[in-house]
Amino acid sequence: MSLKTLLKSGFTLEIYFYKNNRATFLAMFLWPYLMLALILGMGYLFGSPSAFRQNVRMDVDPVVYYVASTLIAMSALSVMWGVGGSILWYKWSGTLPYMLLSPNRMSTTLVFSFIPRYMLGVLIQLAEFAPLIMLIEGVSNGLVKIGILALAATVGMIPLLGFSALFASFLITIEEETNVLSWLNPLILLFSGAFYPAYLLPYWARLISQILPTTYTVELARLAAIVGAPPLAPITFLIGILLGIALIYNSLAYLLVGYGEKKAMKKGAI
Amino acid sequence: MSLNQKNLTLTQEKMSLGEDEVKETIIVKDLVKNYTTYLRKGLFKREKKVVHALKGISFDVKKGEVFGLLGPNGAGKTTTVKILSTLLLPDGGEARVLGYDVVKEAAEVRKVIGVSLSVEKGFFWKLTGRENLTYFGMLYGLNGEYLKNRVEKLLELVGLKQLEVTDKLYEEYSLGMKARLSLARALLIDPQVVILDEPTLGLDPPSARMLREMLVKIAHEDGKTVLVTTHNMFEAEMVCDRVAIINEGEIIALDTVERLKQRVADSVSLEIFTFLPAGIPQETLVLKLREATGYPSTIFAENGGYRVKVVVPPGDAGEATSKALRVLHEHKCSVRRVEIKEPTLEDVFIKLTGKTGF
Ligand SMILES: Nc1ncnc2c1ncn2[C@@H]1O[C@H](COP(=O)(O)OP(=O)(O)OP(=O)(O)O)[C@@H](O)[C@H]1O
Ligand SMILES: [Mg+2]
Repeated sequence: MSLKTLLKSGFTLEIYFYKNNRATFLAMFLWPYLMLALILGMGYLFGSPSAFRQNVRMDVDPVVYYVASTLIAMSALSVMWGVGGSILWYKWSGTLPYMLLSPNRMSTTLVFSFIPRYMLGVLIQLAEFAPLIMLIEGVSNGLVKIGILALAATVGMIPLLGFSALFASFLITIEEETNVLSWLNPLILLFSGAFYPAYLLPYWARLISQILPTTYTVELARLAAIVGAPPLAPITFLIGILLGIALIYNSLAYLLVGYGEKKAMKKGAI
Repeated sequence: MSLNQKNLTLTQEKMSLGEDEVKETIIVKDLVKNYTTYLRKGLFKREKKVVHALKGISFDVKKGEVFGLLGPNGAGKTTTVKILSTLLLPDGGEARVLGYDVVKEAAEVRKVIGVSLSVEKGFFWKLTGRENLTYFGMLYGLNGEYLKNRVEKLLELVGLKQLEVTDKLYEEYSLGMKARLSLARALLIDPQVVILDEPTLGLDPPSARMLREMLVKIAHEDGKTVLVTTHNMFEAEMVCDRVAIINEGEIIALDTVERLKQRVADSVSLEIFTFLPAGIPQETLVLKLREATGYPSTIFAENGGYRVKVVVPPGDAGEATSKALRVLHEHKCSVRRVEIKEPTLEDVFIKLTGKTGF
């Protein structure tokens, strides 16, 4: 009941923002295409599609792979980054105390108010890449892949919810108002094999990569990017792993989140 | 009808209700709050410093009254408000709102309170006033037609509709408009308890008056309980049924405005409006005045000039005036006006703390 309230109000807030900030909205549409052009341009400049396929070890289409991996990996991570960012924004605008006056736990309010922004972001990105994917893959394969990507982005978010809550308390507590994740983010992406195939990483790094949920979301992206019909069995398997990790991660986070909340609410930073 | 008259008739009405119908809505008992801060001493060294913001304060607020927390900067007003609003955990003591513990039953407390912590921020800049209210209404669990009507009603109640700014972005609002919107949000869920931290800070007299009148109306006509903090004694006198004077984390007096003033009924206040020449520190002059008159003296900067105030027994007013004027004359202060006034809350504070006032 209260979760629904948080999701619904968060969604409304987002719509108001898009409505009042059309320029930002437009930029949101253009930016991924600019990035795509840049990265692919560099890729073709320094290598070739066949070299790329060899590296990734699968018969994937570079364009779809790029779309899938940025979308899924970045958006899965953006849950944490986004929750953190929105807290800094609430703090700065002075809305934080009024957000927390909603009759829920602090972490619940902060994390679940953010989910609508995340989901809308994912949907918008998917919608804008949909024509491109369908152009490359054909309409029916394209649609299935878009569906898989949407599912992956959603499932990929779940393991990180608990840590986002912890991170939220942490950000409220610290004095320096910087989003620490802005430098952690690229590291996580590196370990997850988003930039660089994970099997090429040194052994210790691969161990780290195995406990990061993003690794599996990136893998999902790779599978979705294979030319032709998507392999459903491994995709289901990966989603299963992600849900398992979600259970472990969120239970762990749950044990710590009470402590984090208490610390944040004692500090007097709200 | 002036505010004070209204106040009086309504207080009488309330008294006729009888004792058992008057219920404590807010109970605060031995509340303690310490803040730990760290002072940076170089790159890696830092020094721990504990601020004792609340040193065990206790008070009750009754249903349907406007209760004022009056105190100077740093007294602990905001700290108290935040603890009662469930946004800050105390280090000791207990606080209950409508019977709910603010620590253990925070969610329940949030369902019955409306809060405004600041008049100048707390909304989304890129949303209009109406959108902001609608959003917070949804966040607090309102929806559908009810929410829509509630938002419209509140926009009208606080006068934003009349100003035709409901569809303007919040970033374009003036301070007065922001303050009105802040009060509207505090009333969104039609709460039984309204908690407002300095609701008129920085407002011009008309806006401040409108807000004050509304506070009294909310409490006396709608039966809500209003806890308001202020460092403005005049405001406290005007709107509050009872006032707790808080200073350095302690409540030093708690009573109705009338009875608080009786504590200084044996004195009048002598006020001299003057200009200080450059180069004379205010503090020096205060000391000189105290020395010369033998009574608590203070100086307030006001409207570009200064107001010298000496609290004296009525019989000594004449002599104290000439002594004070002599001191001012010696320091080449040009005197504009001299007044002898009935005691106010300000005098109560000066008498109780021996402080310069605020
Ligand atoms: N988050 C915090 N960390 C450390 N010290 C704090 C914090 N908040 C308040 N304090 C200190 O606690 C004391 C009480 O502060 P508080 O804000 O409650 O005062 P106030 O009565 O609201 O004052 P003002 O009229 O200036 O708003 C002050 O000494 C203040 O410096
Ligand atoms: Mg304050």
